[in-house]
Amino acid sequence: MPGRSPVASHPPSARRSEGGSTAVKFHAFHLMPYPYLPDDFRQRYRGVWVDLPASELYDPVLGHGVYHDYLDELEFADQMGFDGICVNEHHQNAYGLMPSPNLMAATLTRRTRRAKIVVMGNSVALYNPPTRVAEEFAMLDVMSGGRLVAGFPVGTPMDTCYAMGQTPTTLREKYREGVDLILRAWKSEQPFAFNGRFTQLRYVNVWPRPIQQPHPPVWIPGGGSVETWDWCVQNGFLYAYLSFFGYLRARQVLDGYWEAVDRHGAEANPYSAGFIQFIGVADSDAQAEELYSEAALYFFNRCLHLYPGFSNPPGYTSVATMRKGIVGQVEQAARRAFADDLTWSEIVDRGYVVAGSPETVTERLGDMADRLRVGHLMVNLQFGNLSRERTMANIERFATEVAPKLRDRFDEYEDRWWPTDTLSELAQPAPLEREA
Amino acid sequence: MATVTGTTSRDVQLPSGLICRVIEAGPGGDVPTVVYLHGAGGVSEQDEILATLARRWNVVAPMAPGFRDLSELSEIDDVHDLAIHYDEVFEALGLDGACVVGHSFGGMVAAELAAHYPSRVARLVLLGPVGLWDDDEPVADVFGVGVTELGGLMWGDPEGPGARAMREGLETIDVSDPKVVDELLIPMMQGFSAAAKFMWPIPEKGLAKRLRRIAAPTLLVWGANDRLVPVGYADRFERAIPDARVRIVPGAGHMLPVEAGDEVIAAMEGFLG
Repeated sequence: MPGRSPVASHPPSARRSEGGSTAVKFHAFHLMPYPYLPDDFRQRYRGVWVDLPASELYDPVLGHGVYHDYLDELEFADQMGFDGICVNEHHQNAYGLMPSPNLMAATLTRRTRRAKIVVMGNSVALYNPPTRVAEEFAMLDVMSGGRLVAGFPVGTPMDTCYAMGQTPTTLREKYREGVDLILRAWKSEQPFAFNGRFTQLRYVNVWPRPIQQPHPPVWIPGGGSVETWDWCVQNGFLYAYLSFFGYLRARQVLDGYWEAVDRHGAEANPYSAGFIQFIGVADSDAQAEELYSEAALYFFNRCLHLYPGFSNPPGYTSVATMRKGIVGQVEQAARRAFADDLTWSEIVDRGYVVAGSPETVTERLGDMADRLRVGHLMVNLQFGNLSRERTMANIERFATEVAPKLRDRFDEYEDRWWPTDTLSELAQPAPLEREA
Repeated sequence: MATVTGTTSRDVQLPSGLICRVIEAGPGGDVPTVVYLHGAGGVSEQDEILATLARRWNVVAPMAPGFRDLSELSEIDDVHDLAIHYDEVFEALGLDGACVVGHSFGGMVAAELAAHYPSRVARLVLLGPVGLWDDDEPVADVFGVGVTELGGLMWGDPEGPGARAMREGLETIDVSDPKVVDELLIPMMQGFSAAAKFMWPIPEKGLAKRLRRIAAPTLLVWGANDRLVPVGYADRFERAIPDARVRIVPGAGHMLPVEAGDEVIAAMEGFLG
């Protein structure tokens, strides 16, 4: 049988370099929540994560539509010019329906053209061996034409320790060893043996290799652990803080990051930091309540209804972090679970959701970007049970009426945390229906 | 709270390079010695269980590795490494053929030691030990409950004074006070973290296969109302250990050496002679 010509259908394209592009970047972040939790959810169930019975609450037929709506929303964000589209990993919960973000990223590689695919990310300690992550991320980078951003979170306590049975005391060591292995696998010119504490492999030799050489940019989504700051700075990883609790809380954490940058004598480059924010764009501040309050309340009162017993497994939080008085994101949410339902005005006043007219959103988000000094803004434009229609409108309005006014910032810095080897011409998927 | 008088602490250097804190209490003189291996709550000079045992015996209580500093566990990965560590602790303390009492997590440690190094232990007393698992009667997830629920899990009467005091104590912890964080929260979380390394996610690490190796005559004392490790486990331990007997204490829970100190002492006196 004759061999397949390497140039038969998809001639290799020249690479273009986007390194150094200097404008604030916007990424559409999707948690993919289950939007059909009952109204009395908080009264009936102790938490949204780990032991919430899927057989009682998850309807897979509804789920089919939910996944496709959410993927449509991310694909639309690509068309609207977002720099990145983000997916992430969670297990055994109704808060986020992506136990495998790589499946979502894979399907996005086929129907998006421009946006980088930011997988935020794979919880490395859960993969055995972690070279699985090196393989799948390399696949995604090749499939997407060099558009992958490789995120490596530790993972929440619920995901890692309770759902996936990882020992909290050794979770971070195992995670870091796994990240080291993955990076070595990508960088190594030759097969090598890896004799780790948590993984032993006689032959490490990852196929395929990523388009981005030596590897895609590495982003670390943090929840506020002290050690992560130093580790990111020392290794040149981007530090992203995924906060649900507004500016003040983010300030405490990102200040810690910038102190670490300073301590190591590194450049205080805003593109080395990311931040997530829930956004609702409307005609007016009053209309924002009408459009977004139900969905925001759904998110904070149902999706973040966490059982405190699963929020702080012993060993997950280091002594240094405890001493610093930083309460983890998850524990913060779990403590809230005792309290009364949040109201819309609390959510908006505390900045948990930035909602209002394009002017209000622009001003508040720009202020946050400046004060937190972040060049990568991840915006959550679908949250809770926000409908497809409202989400699409939110995406469009943010892209056309907010983002352009915020881009012009930090132009004296080079963004070294962004894909640079993206192919200029991507292979085209065949159309869904073949012409007769 | 019972007071312990004449309690002393010392640090013992081990061949591994680790330093083991050892707390000692008791009447002294010719009174026999028992080694006490503590639970996940740790051990201190103010320890109530230590005080109870010290009414009758000279007690030697080595602190488990990791409880003072988690880095002590960097070379202790599993229960086998842990058994080796205790073998070295016993060697350093000149303890051979000792009477060993273990409570809860410490009960698992004592059983593992006696199974790994049968000659180290002459008499074994297990007070509500963890270490086995039964799908039909699971051990409660002590590391997967809110701190305010802990009291109800530990005490025989979830509404009794012990449970109430624990609940109120933990509910009112002020985590924004650095003194509270340093003196209360960090030691507690450190101890839990250390114990969790050997108990996560299910506190059975092969002990069922090894209990047959225990040479020491063994006494199991269990609270009839133990909500953490249900009393049904007493039977499983008894059947698997070659020379074992069981004493059930009515009304008591997982904290039985605190809840029913007199009964525990009486049972041990009968057994140790």
